[in-house]
Amino acid sequence: MQRREFLGLSIAAGLSAAGLPGCSDSGPLRFGIHPWVGYEPLYLADDFNWLPPTVGLKPGTSAKESMEGLLSGALDGAALTLDEVIRVRSRGLELVVVAVADVSAGADVLMVKPSIPELSALKGQRIAVELEGVSGIMLMEILEVAGLGQNDVVKVDLPVSRHAEAWARGEVDASVCYEPTASVIENAGGVRLFDSSDIPETIFDVLAVTREAADRNARAVRDLVIGHFTGLQHLVRSMHDSVYRIATRQRISPDEVRAALANVMLPDLAANQRYLSAAGPIEAMAKSLSRLMLSEGMIDQNPGIQSLSDPSFLPARVP
Amino acid sequence: MNGRRFAISLCLLVVTELLAIAAANADETLTLGVFAYRPDHVLQERYQPLTDYLSRETGITIRLEVLNQENMSRAIAANRLDIFLTNPSHFLLIRSERSLTGVLATLVRRSGESSTASLGGVVFTRAGRDDIEHLADLHDKTIASPGVHFLGGYQTQVLELLDAGIDIRRVNLIRFLGTHDRVVRSVLSGDADVGFIRTSILEQLAQADPDLFTRVKVLNRQRLSGFPYVVSTRLYPEWPLVALPHVNERVVRRIASALFAIEPEDDVAMAVGIAGFSPPADYQAVEHLARTLRVPPYDQVPQLTWVDALHQYRLWVFTILVLVMLLFTSSLWLARSKRQLAAEQRRLRQLIRGWPQPALIIQDGRFSDTNRASVDLLRYRSSESLIGKDLSVFSPEYQPDGQFSRHKLTHMLTRVSSGQVEQCEWVLNRSDSTEVWVELTMAPVHTQDEREAFILCSLYDITRRKRAEQRQRLAASVFEYAREAIFITDNHGMVIDVNDAYLAITGRPRNQAIGRLPPLPVDEGSGIFASARAQGFWSGEFASRRYDGMSITLSVTVSSVLGEHSDVSHFVGIFSDISRLKEQERKLRIMAHYDSLTGMPNRVLFADRLHQAMALARRQNGQLAVVYIDLDKFKPVNDAFGHDAGDQLLVAIAARMRSELREEDTLARIGGDEFAAIVTNIQEESALESLLGRMLARVAEPVWVADHSLEVSASIGYTLFPQPEDLDGDQLLRQADQAMYQAKHRGRNRYVRFSAPTG
Repeated sequence: MQRREFLGLSIAAGLSAAGLPGCSDSGPLRFGIHPWVGYEPLYLADDFNWLPPTVGLKPGTSAKESMEGLLSGALDGAALTLDEVIRVRSRGLELVVVAVADVSAGADVLMVKPSIPELSALKGQRIAVELEGVSGIMLMEILEVAGLGQNDVVKVDLPVSRHAEAWARGEVDASVCYEPTASVIENAGGVRLFDSSDIPETIFDVLAVTREAADRNARAVRDLVIGHFTGLQHLVRSMHDSVYRIATRQRISPDEVRAALANVMLPDLAANQRYLSAAGPIEAMAKSLSRLMLSEGMIDQNPGIQSLSDPSFLPARVP
Repeated sequence: MNGRRFAISLCLLVVTELLAIAAANADETLTLGVFAYRPDHVLQERYQPLTDYLSRETGITIRLEVLNQENMSRAIAANRLDIFLTNPSHFLLIRSERSLTGVLATLVRRSGESSTASLGGVVFTRAGRDDIEHLADLHDKTIASPGVHFLGGYQTQVLELLDAGIDIRRVNLIRFLGTHDRVVRSVLSGDADVGFIRTSILEQLAQADPDLFTRVKVLNRQRLSGFPYVVSTRLYPEWPLVALPHVNERVVRRIASALFAIEPEDDVAMAVGIAGFSPPADYQAVEHLARTLRVPPYDQVPQLTWVDALHQYRLWVFTILVLVMLLFTSSLWLARSKRQLAAEQRRLRQLIRGWPQPALIIQDGRFSDTNRASVDLLRYRSSESLIGKDLSVFSPEYQPDGQFSRHKLTHMLTRVSSGQVEQCEWVLNRSDSTEVWVELTMAPVHTQDEREAFILCSLYDITRRKRAEQRQRLAASVFEYAREAIFITDNHGMVIDVNDAYLAITGRPRNQAIGRLPPLPVDEGSGIFASARAQGFWSGEFASRRYDGMSITLSVTVSSVLGEHSDVSHFVGIFSDISRLKEQERKLRIMAHYDSLTGMPNRVLFADRLHQAMALARRQNGQLAVVYIDLDKFKPVNDAFGHDAGDQLLVAIAARMRSELREEDTLARIGGDEFAAIVTNIQEESALESLLGRMLARVAEPVWVADHSLEVSASIGYTLFPQPEDLDGDQLLRQADQAMYQAKHRGRNRYVRFSAPTG
């Protein structure tokens, strides 16, 4: 082992001495992350110290925080949903999707009061939604499925993390949210009326980095992606261990963790290769999403989806 | 008949079969093996309710057997067990040995109100052991563990410690005690510093011993919300319940349904201390752990094929391949360069060794290498005599220019070391003490930045040249300082070079001498060069003239000098001025033939002339007379007036007598006052007699000598030639002498002709 490390060091030294492009000394890759079951592999990797010093996780509380960090330059990358990536891109910062963390298959839900039996009954109801986030997209999809117009409902723009309070105060009749908020609302008497499993392969949670970081600090980006897949491997292989760790971090019960995991698809390496390929599912989805968001005025300009996804940072295999 | 028999047999067979099945159903007994991870009686007590429950629910008698791992493995090998419940690690081992498949269910353990299907490991020590706070503190501690095949009692902890950088299997003393209870006891009693047990043990023991948790300290405690036990490691699935392949599938189904039917609130669940059974868990995490730790059944190093290795380490393989190729290429290149270098060195060495001129390599002022020629030059046997010494050892103390050899050498070496090339003449001493002149060249054969100074020293033997130079110098000085005039001409006789003596003798300035002919004899002229060319030399004496017109006599020798092709290229001439010698010679000749007083021929010349005159007379049939004259009474004059007066008288009288004679006649003084004369061409004797008479008269005339007038007379005898008999000169003179005596006798002052005595 020591020998291999030594050899590695000497080869690295040789390569850098030879002037080959190696890792630049631009410091660790600052990567924004917020609680979400799909991002748990990265948290696990961080817990077990599987992330090399080239990657610095910057835990936040919401996607909004991560987006602001990216735009202000405080972050080099973040775990975001695909629509959030498009939002950032439309504001002039070129983000590249380097891995798909999960695909929502029921994780994003519409919680309603039991008095609302079907989607069409949403008309005129107050719906808590985080317009700037995935919940906004979810609501658009819901309205489309429900055959309602954008103005047929009362949108209460709130961060998802505050939906539970609003629900508890009776300020809203419905909430477009996700775990763990969904479970909290359910416990408070909410009913699941619609979830993302009804619109498969629409809501992607991805790891995205700035084009600049991808070009300048490619090694750190690769380390990040490897870290994610190492954590994912532990999650899958040692589910018995992982559920307790996730439960501890998210402050929910292990059973709730199992439930949350059941509502997401965690694509492995091979699936990621498929998702990220040029003109693959990610780019196709991004294309239709950006068209939709543009028409709804959620973004001001078409960000273009040219080279939005880049599978080149995916490792050949997980160590 | 045959048909009936067959029918009866068939009936019997069917009846027997049915009976057999019925019997099997009736006394079917299955054995449930449970791994004794705690003391047998605890497990016996705990699992008996489960066995009873299963017997009741399935209608099959199920017997409980509590076994340790070894006995369980043996029982399974002997097919004595039908169902077993053990920890996942042990299950993996059995599975690999039996190629088992199906796990029926995974145990869900209960702890109070909560339950879990996960287990982990606990690392603990006695409370109060302040020296053990973290995993890192374990490296030198004694560890108690139930056994290697305990997942929660050994393997989970080993992995966790490996991640923390400690391989306890290498560094620690580990006691394997068989059960978790013994581990706890051992730690509490202080026999072991640290204990490894699985989750739930401490909680179970704490039921009987409520203050147990105050007496132990759990290390690396994991904060896992919802997990009901203290835990130090990551979690793995709980125990599997496994049915062996020989158990009837129907029976297995019934057992499984009975197991899954257990609800947490059921009495059996409460009694056993479980929450029930869940569907089979995925045990790949345990497999991965066993593979990582290389514990059985994954203790064998997997056969790694080249393709696997290539696939896994392709970047490394490629990099190493490139490096090896680079290394190989550079090695080849280095080897080639080394060979070239060696060849070059050999060539250089050969060049120096084989060079016909003496050459030496000087390193740090001393010879480090020499060639044969230099050894030969100094007349030593081998180069060992030279190596390690410096040049001054082979040099005389002083060089010809007067410098101290050692100092001169030191200065030269200093200059050469700074990059200059030095050249000078040098004298060396050979081993046989002879001297040898060499032209010495020293040149640096090292670059400025080389630490060691290498100098090539070449010697060129110039002894022969030096000797030639000396000879030449000598020759030049001879040419320069010789008293004899020396000239060198071209092959036509034109002067090329002359020495100072030449200029002194000839009186010519140099520019008048060069390019002209040298002094040559008048008669032969340039012919002497032809003689010298033919005979090799010419020598002779001749009269010449100096540049200022003075006549000189020269004695010249001209030699021809042969050129490269044996033809005459030059002439070398030597001459000296012999004018004085000639004058001397002339004087000597006069002294020998003439009388010094009167300047007249003496007796010798007289005899010579007489001889010539006689020969002439014989040839011409002429007649001559020999006359003998003696002065009368001369002695008294001498006596009376002295010899000077006498001499003056003789001179005056001789001159008078000479004036009477013709030019071709000879008058000689034969003695003191005696004269003789030869008178030639006598036609008549009377003419002779008249001459003699005039002579007598002239002699008789007074002569003024020494203030005196003196008078003398002469007596003359004569004879004629030829005469009848053959006479010589002496005889003639004697005849004249006799006749003179006759004249004296007859009274002096007369002449008398010789007449032969009669008789």
